[in-house]
Amino acid sequence: MVDDQVIDRINELLDSAGPETVNTSMRIPSALRDAAALAVSELNVAPSTTVLTAKALRAALEAAVMQAVLDRHYEEYPESRPTLADLAIAAAEIDGHPLADDPELISRSAAEVQQRHPDASPEDVLLWAEARTSAAA
Amino acid sequence: MGRGPDERRGVSRVILLDNEAVRALADPAHPKHRRAVSHTQVAVSRKARAVPVNIAVPTAVRVAVGWDRTLPSWAFINRLRVADIPLDPSHANAAASLRNRTRVSVADAHLGAAIRAADQVTVLTSDPRDMLVLAEGKRIEVVAL
Repeated sequence: MVDDQVIDRINELLDSAGPETVNTSMRIPSALRDAAALAVSELNVAPSTTVLTAKALRAALEAAVMQAVLDRHYEEYPESRPTLADLAIAAAEIDGHPLADDPELISRSAAEVQQRHPDASPEDVLLWAEARTSAAA
Repeated sequence: MGRGPDERRGVSRVILLDNEAVRALADPAHPKHRRAVSHTQVAVSRKARAVPVNIAVPTAVRVAVGWDRTLPSWAFINRLRVADIPLDPSHANAAASLRNRTRVSVADAHLGAAIRAADQVTVLTSDPRDMLVLAEGKRIEVVAL
């Protein structure tokens, strides 16, 4: 289990990201670097490859630290861990998915999907539920 | 599925917490805790897939529920990187104007200002009807806890 101090330190560093920069000896595949340069100049995905890289790294770190916090929380409070149905309902609600108003259908779909695909995602469940609705129409 | 078309185009979604959503997420004993955690887990999973989504709280909401980030009792929700939306001059003006029109609480007025300033908004709330008043016609997703 990840230590709280590690989580707090990562969060502190993410929060204190100031204007100062540093040259690193980080090695990345040259093709990836070239693709990033092209995306910056031609697709305007970011002002520079440095900004693009820093933004992607920040998002990845934020997601990782937040997941670590949730994983610790699930260990301590197992009843707080959402089921696949909970997550599918939440995913539908966040987006205003048309099936968000039918949590029972989503729950049934989650149970069906999980029988065949134990690692199914909430999005898989919503797709299954939507397919069932379309087939029934 | 699970990602609106605007999110596929890179438009950021913000998930805003109202007073009760903050309490529900922060307190494992709250009856809606698992529900609030579910929405947080979906946001985190999307973030890990590079979908632009953030969870945020207007600072006036934090004041209303007594969320002092320096207190250890708020450690869990602090560590989840729920961002503060400060009551800066622009938000203060929008919130004051909204409060004049609707007589909502200061916390809700700040929430309304945050709704107005965001691209794509989902609000986690115990009072969906109030959120629609705050949105003043703007399209938002409201999740009743």
